[in-house]
Amino acid sequence: MAAEHTGEVLAAPRTRRRRGTAKVNLGLISVPLLWIVLFFLVPVVLVALYSVGVLTLISYDKYLSLQAWRDFLHSSTYLGSPLGRGLFWKSMKMSLGVSITCVILAYPVAYMLALVAGRRKYTLLLVIITPFLTSYLLRVLAWRVLLNPHGVIQEALRGIGVLGDESILSWMYNSIFAVYLVLAYAWVPFVALPIFVALESLDLQMLEASSDLGASRWTTFRRVTLPMSMPGVIAAFVFVFIPTIGEFVTPQIVGGKGGYLFGNVIQSSFSASFDWQLGSAMAVFMLAAVTILLAIFGRYLNVRTVAE
Amino acid sequence: VNPAISKGGRRTLWIAFWFLVVFLYAPIVILIIFSFNDSEIVSFPWLGFTLRWYKAFVHAPALLDALQTSLLVATMTAVVATALAIPASIALVRRRFFGKGLVSGLMLAPLVIPLVVLGVSLLILFNAIGFPLGPITAAIGHVVIAMPFAILTMVPRLERIPPALEEASRDLGATAMNTFRLITFPLLVPALISAFLISFTISFDELVIASFIVGDQVTFPVYLYSQLRLPERLPMVIAVAVLILIVSVIVVVASEVGRFLSERRLEAQTGMAADEYGSLRAGKG
Repeated sequence: MAAEHTGEVLAAPRTRRRRGTAKVNLGLISVPLLWIVLFFLVPVVLVALYSVGVLTLISYDKYLSLQAWRDFLHSSTYLGSPLGRGLFWKSMKMSLGVSITCVILAYPVAYMLALVAGRRKYTLLLVIITPFLTSYLLRVLAWRVLLNPHGVIQEALRGIGVLGDESILSWMYNSIFAVYLVLAYAWVPFVALPIFVALESLDLQMLEASSDLGASRWTTFRRVTLPMSMPGVIAAFVFVFIPTIGEFVTPQIVGGKGGYLFGNVIQSSFSASFDWQLGSAMAVFMLAAVTILLAIFGRYLNVRTVAE
Repeated sequence: VNPAISKGGRRTLWIAFWFLVVFLYAPIVILIIFSFNDSEIVSFPWLGFTLRWYKAFVHAPALLDALQTSLLVATMTAVVATALAIPASIALVRRRFFGKGLVSGLMLAPLVIPLVVLGVSLLILFNAIGFPLGPITAAIGHVVIAMPFAILTMVPRLERIPPALEEASRDLGATAMNTFRLITFPLLVPALISAFLISFTISFDELVIASFIVGDQVTFPVYLYSQLRLPERLPMVIAVAVLILIVSVIVVVASEVGRFLSERRLEAQTGMAADEYGSLRAGKG
């Protein structure tokens, strides 16, 4: 008796559930999806249309014109500063250098935490990641305080007599080096995370098998560990490359003229020179570059590794 | 014998680890030390210990306004991003529907757009539709970048709540809404708090998008950024930023530890309940 009764109760809601499923799915996903469509997808499409003058917003805008794209792709200078492709490639090189540096700095530490540190690994990982969770601006600012000609480092060098009272290390501040250093500093903690996750999921028995079969530790690393951690490395690489390619804050704070990047020219075409169409064309170009990158590396990406 | 590392290698890696820790923390520590320097220049020479920069900001109304705007924007962002992430995560974890791969890709796409591109895109959108720039537009933009993080915080938690618990509730006659209210939601609370804090932090610290679409009522990062042109303001601005830094580190570390602990508790609780229900069903079926 009791068993039959339970059976009925178990069966009843099933049919009810099935009928409402489509409506429930729509209800659950509709608002978040609408938000992303309205405030992410539509604006991006709008920028592309705007860059060719399908719509005009400010007085400088030219209706239905490829002028902005021509300006961007053909002229080498604009209002006296280098523009377009030159700066784009400079930014690409910078992002590439920063991403590779971050991976090289973070890999040994992620390896140590995942495979050597034992039970303390999560605590130590948190120690590495915490700076990333603090104010980005403050961390960049800290380097301005350290690097500038009358900053902590150069004053200290003067104090101990390594640097003459009147001389300054010009390469240290308002330079491409400063931007490179600070960007690498800012993104290293973030890079450690996906590499750590990839290495942590490694089956230690495979490493043992490899060494039992006579491989040295170096061979095991080269032939087993490194290939298996590549998804983490690629994820780390992409997730540093993309934010740094559009960077304009760090160049402005520690980069000066020498550190001026593609992101800066986009930003200033909106805030200073008011050539919004040109800025839009460059933004679309940057997005296209990012999309190509994602098309190449996308299948290796597991976004979860950066959030958990 | 550890196949991953030799004795000498272990020592080298520990040195690499501590080297990285020093590299990461030294600039921040030096900044904090020099924020107490009794000098207009945040550097050597050391002219004595002072708290005056920490006291000065109380009398800087523009700064306080900016802090208030940031609190407002971050609160709006966190509330909306978390509220939207709940149904989105449930749909992505528990439901099957047409185009799910595309939808989840789209929901997470803001993770991989350079912020400067999103910033100018939203600027053009709000100009095109004639919506006035202000804290609301900034919060709208921040929700776009915070929601993927909120979703990615909730999804793993949802995956660890056994569906059997929800099925049991439905089988016992509870409506879908009641099941959510009485079963899913309470188990989701720790992830919810994390998602809220993460969204809040992202918004509070966000400069790039805000600089394009916040309008005249600037947020704190935008204010700080604009003050960098005035060196005499630097010590005070740094002092406030240090205070915020300390608060945010405490909040973030506490929430991470809290999440870790609640994860353990969840496994203990739900594991037992789900096992019982599973054997019950198996017995009846």
